[in-house]
Amino acid sequence: MSTTQERAAAQKRFALAKSGLDTVDERFASSKWLVSALDKIFPDHWSFMVGEIAMDSLIILIATGIYLALFYVPSSTDVVYAPTSGHVYLPLVGQHMSEAYQSVINLSFDVRFGLIMRQAHHWAALIFLAAVFFHMCRIFFTGAFRKPREINWIIGLALWQIVSLEGFTGYSLPDDLLSGTGIRVIYSIVQSIPLVGTWLAYALWGGRFPGSTFIPRLFVIHEFLFPLAIVGLLTAHLMILWHQKHTDFPGPGKTETNIRGSRVWPQYAMKAGGLMMLTASVTFLLAGFVQINPVWLYGPYTTYTVSAGSQPDWYLGWLDGSVRLWPHWEFRSFGHEIPNPFFPGLLIPSILFGIMFAWPWIDKWIYKDYGPHNLLDRPRDKPFRTGVGVAAGMFFTDLTLACATDLLANNLHVPFERLIEVLQYGVFVGPIAGFVVAYWTCLHLQRTDAHPIRRPVGGIIYRTASGGYHTVGDVHHDDHGHDDGHGDHGHGGPHSDTPGGQSPRHDAPTPEPVAGD
Amino acid sequence: MLRGPVLLLSLVVVVFSVLILTQAPARSASNTVSTNPSDIAAGAVLFEVHCQSCHGYQGKGGVVAGAPALVNVGAAAADFYLTTGRMPLNSPSNEALRHHPAFTDAQIQELDAYVNALPQITGQGTAGPTIPSPEPLCSVDQQKSPTSVDLATQDPGCVTLSEGQQLYAVNCAQCHQAAGSGGMLSGGNVIPTLHNSNLIQAYEAPLIGPKPMPIFSQLSHAQLSAIAQYVQYLKKPSNPGGFGISGFGPVAEGFFGILVGFVLLWFASRMIGNRG
Repeated sequence: MSTTQERAAAQKRFALAKSGLDTVDERFASSKWLVSALDKIFPDHWSFMVGEIAMDSLIILIATGIYLALFYVPSSTDVVYAPTSGHVYLPLVGQHMSEAYQSVINLSFDVRFGLIMRQAHHWAALIFLAAVFFHMCRIFFTGAFRKPREINWIIGLALWQIVSLEGFTGYSLPDDLLSGTGIRVIYSIVQSIPLVGTWLAYALWGGRFPGSTFIPRLFVIHEFLFPLAIVGLLTAHLMILWHQKHTDFPGPGKTETNIRGSRVWPQYAMKAGGLMMLTASVTFLLAGFVQINPVWLYGPYTTYTVSAGSQPDWYLGWLDGSVRLWPHWEFRSFGHEIPNPFFPGLLIPSILFGIMFAWPWIDKWIYKDYGPHNLLDRPRDKPFRTGVGVAAGMFFTDLTLACATDLLANNLHVPFERLIEVLQYGVFVGPIAGFVVAYWTCLHLQRTDAHPIRRPVGGIIYRTASGGYHTVGDVHHDDHGHDDGHGDHGHGGPHSDTPGGQSPRHDAPTPEPVAGD
Repeated sequence: MLRGPVLLLSLVVVVFSVLILTQAPARSASNTVSTNPSDIAAGAVLFEVHCQSCHGYQGKGGVVAGAPALVNVGAAAADFYLTTGRMPLNSPSNEALRHHPAFTDAQIQELDAYVNALPQITGQGTAGPTIPSPEPLCSVDQQKSPTSVDLATQDPGCVTLSEGQQLYAVNCAQCHQAAGSGGMLSGGNVIPTLHNSNLIQAYEAPLIGPKPMPIFSQLSHAQLSAIAQYVQYLKKPSNPGGFGISGFGPVAEGFFGILVGFVLLWFASRMIGNRG
């Protein structure tokens, strides 16, 4: 990037924009920075783009959210839904409801573009969290959190937490039956905090549940506090990324000190811009064609009603599942009871998050590797870390399934209690089984160098010093084929070594490369 | 070139039209239980063949554990269990779930008549609730300008969806779900979806309390009518926003958002980015 040739090429590319750069220079004297910024290299691997889906979803969320905020009324004031000149939803006529719920009903039925904006906002939130989750998994499994990127891992985790809470506050704003049920659960969990719980709940709700101050407060939190935190942390996240430069997978010509890929302008900007447009398309197609959260069917929230099948949105399902699976134990000491929801609702997530925040340092300790890394690990080369990640994924999946027990029981025709029992065992069995299978698979993949999913075609043929040939990662072994235990060709992991240098071991068993596991 | 598909499409349209037009008409509005002796006699024959082995001679029960006496249950119970296909059961230990009715409408009316006449035949007690005639829905204009009537005590002659929605939310939604999608009780007892029920069945269920559902004896005729009308509305609600995901609720939405929305974008990034 710094060679004269490349510099000349860059100048040539920007020749067309010369007058534009001059305009910038005359005012800000920053065209040099701009050119180098536009010349910045981003790696091309597809998995790096998934984080951008999250960023694009955030942009959609902000845009649609601004539109919704124009019509939403953050008020718990009791009103009677009465026919207006516009559309009227008959089954609610004459009913008492909060002004907030009424404004969401009117937003959905009476405001131009209101319903599609609301649905796009909700679908974008679901996709946002899925992208965040995938992005986090990529960082974890490839070891991208290692020095010097530990701080960005922490910022990323904080973003995940705030984004989840932001999703929950948004889910709670319409004040329909589902929202109110969710807030009621959270109120109980806040109350269950030892010593301070009751006071804290009173302070947050401004009195007893449901109160009339919580909806306006929720609105401020959803509208200002969390969005500002998200945008601020995301800016830091991206600035650190920009400054530290991207990680990349090992490969030909890739080293710890260089980056290979596309320049921001024009290649990467086109890719990222295209993905942004696709994200918007998919979100709005879903918003237009698939209904989400029909608040009019749930009806207004009253404290004495609840609907079957009340769950949070998917990304908080694991917390709901945690509460559902926790046994009915009670702990009393010194005349105080620690209420039951405290353990599954707060303690377990805190422990989990604690481990996740500390993972970069746990990882250093496990691998005795304290140096900086810009090249990524292949997941198979770090079987223990991959195993831990898969175990965490199994834990998360088990709790998420527990959140859906009422639907699962109904659709699978399994008694509810049996399902809870199975999932209670699953909390332990799932992660252990996941760890073992992942660990074993990693070792196997290291040996065979097979692609984890695709069936291997062809292979790499090595000629040994004695004149024999052997292939690596090939299903069609001939009689001379054998395996020296390592097939890594230059991936730089701790288990890699050069296969050609090994002496042939004809008596070594030939492992079958696995396709499909 | 298009002759084949056009012919095929026409054929499909014709077949479907014939099927729809020749379908048996919905049951007539008259819900009166026959007291005609010939109907009762025909019902008795059917009862002896299909019901007596569990419910006992003249429905007096005591034959099989769990099969109740039917002498005083009334025509509404017989009508509900038979029109929803819950009875007859293959085995008394089976859970009574909705099936295609085992009998024709005429046979069901004869069995209703027989069960209704059982107190007279056996000389024991009085008949339970008869087949209901739910109040109709008020006109749209009436529903738009509601006059507050206490449904618990007064019978306004017509009911509104709003009344139905409120009563449904309080009495039914915690098991049958806000949109009537059903659910699951403890002990593996299925809570059925309400989208298959007709107006009379939706009224009869809270009236007679098919196990394990309780009898909602606190509800008046007008209140039961309002609930039944709202349940009918839930089958095809005024429901904008596109394709409603079956089951409604955040779990279905989450699955859809991830498996369709996110996976599409995931593939897009795979196609835009490089591999390996």
